[in-house]
Amino acid sequence: MMRRLFILFLSFTQTLFATGFAHAGESLTIVSWGGPYATSQQQAYFTPFAKETGIAIDLREYQGGIKEIENQVGAAKVEWGVVDMIFADNISACEKGLLEPIDEKVLYPAPDGTPAGEDFIAGSLTACGVSHNIASVVLAYRRDAFPGEKPSHIKDLFDLEKFPGKRALQRNPAANLEWALLSYGVPREDLYNLLSTERGLKLAFSRLDSIRDQIVWWDEVDEPVKLLNSGAAAIASGFNGRFFSSMVEDKELINIIWDGQLYSYSTWGIPKGSAQRDQAIAFIRFATETWHMAELAAYIAYGPTRASAAKLVGTHYETGINMQPHLPNNPPNFQGAIEKDYEWYAKTGDRLTERFNYWLSQQN
Amino acid sequence: MTREESTKSTVVSAETNTFARIVFILAFGCVAGAVSSLASIGFITVIDWLNDVFLVSPRSRMIAGDSPWVVVATILVPAIGGLLVGVIVLFIADKRPHGPPDIIRAVQGFGGDVPPRSGVLTAVASIVGIGCGASVGQYGPLAHMGATIGAFIARFSGSGRPMGTVGVGCGVAAAISTVFNAPIAGIVFAHEVILRHYSLRAFAPVTVASTVGFIFANVVFKRNPLFRIEDVRVLYAPEFLGFVVVGIAGALVAVLFMRSILLCGQLAKRINIAQYLKPMFAGACIGIVAIWIPDILGIGREALRFAIIEDAFTASELAVTLIAKIAATALCIGFGFAGGVFSPALLIGILFGALVGTGLESAGIEAHSDLSIYAICGMAAVTSPVIGAPLTAIIIVFELTRNYGLTTAVMVSVVFSNVVGYRVFGRSLFDVQLKARGFDLSFGRDKVVLDHRTIENYITQDFTQLAVGDSLLSGKNKLLAESNTEAYVLSEQHEYVGTITLTQLLQLEQTNQSLEQVVEQFARQEALVFTHSTTIWAAMDTMEDFVGESIPVVISDTDSTLVGVVFEASVVKAYLDTTKKIRAEEHGMG
Repeated sequence: MMRRLFILFLSFTQTLFATGFAHAGESLTIVSWGGPYATSQQQAYFTPFAKETGIAIDLREYQGGIKEIENQVGAAKVEWGVVDMIFADNISACEKGLLEPIDEKVLYPAPDGTPAGEDFIAGSLTACGVSHNIASVVLAYRRDAFPGEKPSHIKDLFDLEKFPGKRALQRNPAANLEWALLSYGVPREDLYNLLSTERGLKLAFSRLDSIRDQIVWWDEVDEPVKLLNSGAAAIASGFNGRFFSSMVEDKELINIIWDGQLYSYSTWGIPKGSAQRDQAIAFIRFATETWHMAELAAYIAYGPTRASAAKLVGTHYETGINMQPHLPNNPPNFQGAIEKDYEWYAKTGDRLTERFNYWLSQQN
Repeated sequence: MTREESTKSTVVSAETNTFARIVFILAFGCVAGAVSSLASIGFITVIDWLNDVFLVSPRSRMIAGDSPWVVVATILVPAIGGLLVGVIVLFIADKRPHGPPDIIRAVQGFGGDVPPRSGVLTAVASIVGIGCGASVGQYGPLAHMGATIGAFIARFSGSGRPMGTVGVGCGVAAAISTVFNAPIAGIVFAHEVILRHYSLRAFAPVTVASTVGFIFANVVFKRNPLFRIEDVRVLYAPEFLGFVVVGIAGALVAVLFMRSILLCGQLAKRINIAQYLKPMFAGACIGIVAIWIPDILGIGREALRFAIIEDAFTASELAVTLIAKIAATALCIGFGFAGGVFSPALLIGILFGALVGTGLESAGIEAHSDLSIYAICGMAAVTSPVIGAPLTAIIIVFELTRNYGLTTAVMVSVVFSNVVGYRVFGRSLFDVQLKARGFDLSFGRDKVVLDHRTIENYITQDFTQLAVGDSLLSGKNKLLAESNTEAYVLSEQHEYVGTITLTQLLQLEQTNQSLEQVVEQFARQEALVFTHSTTIWAAMDTMEDFVGESIPVVISDTDSTLVGVVFEASVVKAYLDTTKKIRAEEHGMG
């Protein structure tokens, strides 16, 4: 116990000295996804960080991808300090040399002294990235669209007879291809191996063909909730955190299907050559500290990547809802989860998108 | 110590012994199971890794994308892999990769001695070959590796009793149990294919080993099973007739597959290139075909999965892939790649079953169950006659799918396919290969063992010997003096000339023939003459009509120098000794 208290004391003093008051007047540009997600980060990370260090935060919004980083690094004019990236983007940007390396030793240990390297989920710390939450792309549906039996499996997305209505899906290959193949009864662990063959891709696209005229395509991450709310879609894919925020507002309207959730990490990265590198490191240290990480889950339903933080997740800050059952990595939700093969996406993403767009352009 | 005390202490020490024996047997199973299971996991992991590095696995090929290297690697990798295999195989005894037939031979022949050197080199050659995409299976080499480990542990177990065959059984069971996630199938396979008898002496440790393998695969390493199938059901009763047809036709596919392998083997012998270059030739051939039909590379796990999905293959694609896979595997194995026939048979069978299912669809037969049932029936129907293991095939399906209805359907197909396969071809590819090497198991183990033991140890020098120039009288006197009734007449070079009996001499005396004549004139060559290498089985077989005391043994068919004689009773004793030893090994205590 004494040891723990001592370590806690140490980590606080570390925070004070390392990031401390020396930074007053400086600023840090953080790029994230906007919406309720950015709001939750504001509450859990940005405001406390600015208050504690005096570093002003300039928050920008983007829709993922590595194009902009490529442009900035290429032009040697890096304006961004920290970017909240999807894991696959982080890996591929790192391999292209677009990101600063981040040593895991700069991260705080867990309150009980466990080093960060052991506390984080295996594989979530990479050469240029610190993954800070597990976010999933899931299906959600309007309860009132299906008065009788409710959809509960990925298969139901493709069953227009039993579950008629429009489907809102993201206009890109990810999740759509996995789900299409999953609906043939392919086990989760085989998905990417089979999608790597011409035969597998054909099968997946032919499944998407079967619901093609019922699909409403979305591009921006806040659209699915809007499409469901307005009744323009009966089932929609989207990030589980967004759906959760909508469920907090209106408990009766929508429900999440956890089967086939495609989980991946949200990962902090620092563009190569950023003038704000030091502030960025200070921020990542701060935001991935156990208590702060656990705090985020009080605002949005994304699961912490540190074992020590996952244990501390409590209730929603406003409604007092217990947050554990709404997290992607809550054991019952996690049973049918698909781990997004980031390496596969990092290497094949462009070709897949090209093929997907070609398919989109074809008439049925 | 009083007598009573002494009896008591004997009982106590017997009990301690029994207890020690039980502990030993279980510990033996545990150790053999654990080592074999870990080695199997390592084996598969390395192959998967090689498949990724060398662009054999679809995922790695997809990641490599449109790079021209993919096409180059598709041809070069199996070819270079073949060259490496060819070179490694040069260092194995008898210069060929070993496999299940060699384990069967070691166990059935006697003692279960699997040489570690051949075991290790075969495993390495298999890993290299399969890792480079050769169209061969991994389960045969895995079983062989398990057997090698089991035999090795048995040798150093210090039990003082023959544990070789039990060790082999343990190693094989653990390997199969680990890679299929199927512990019961592991036990059944070891008994049905390798041990070929049932006794608690082997069953107990084999079961322990198989369970340990399952625990390693499932609990410690959490490996996924070979494939998972959703809940499917047989919908219409008349379909069972269909499963019979799948069984019978599946057997014919299996026979075609096995004959192709044997044919390619003969073809390879006739081709005039160095032995070690042959696998390279096969590798290059399948690499070229794989540019169009990548499903033939390696284990073909993806094709295996697709075959049970409706619409994944068209009927013609199924037929083409089926034939390409048979040809590719026959070529690879015939031309000397180290690898098994089990996984290719699984793929060939599942493609065949799917073809039948698709055929029903296009024949307009509405009333049929899911395609996957036919595919799985086909898979079991083709695989079981190849490895000669109907029970194992049924149990594997049951353990992988935990689906009772499906297993019942599979059972029907398997039984019919095995009956047909047995009649048309033989018990299994392994048995037919062994027969070609002069090891015929079709009359059971006794014959094999008796056929591989010679009468040499039973030859005696206790006989009456006469020279060609000896007189009949001296012959008679010598026989009477040595209390024998038969004398063997030898030439000056010690060659066997003939036999003369005491009865013969007495008859000659009665008919007033002169006993001064030489024995050579009257000696008669025995109808039955053994050589050094006459086996106990052959001796028993030919002795049926023999009347006499002993049989002369000469060096060989061409060299009639006498080495000694064998008494009829000794041959019977040799027979009894051997069969007793077999029974003791199979059922004896400890």
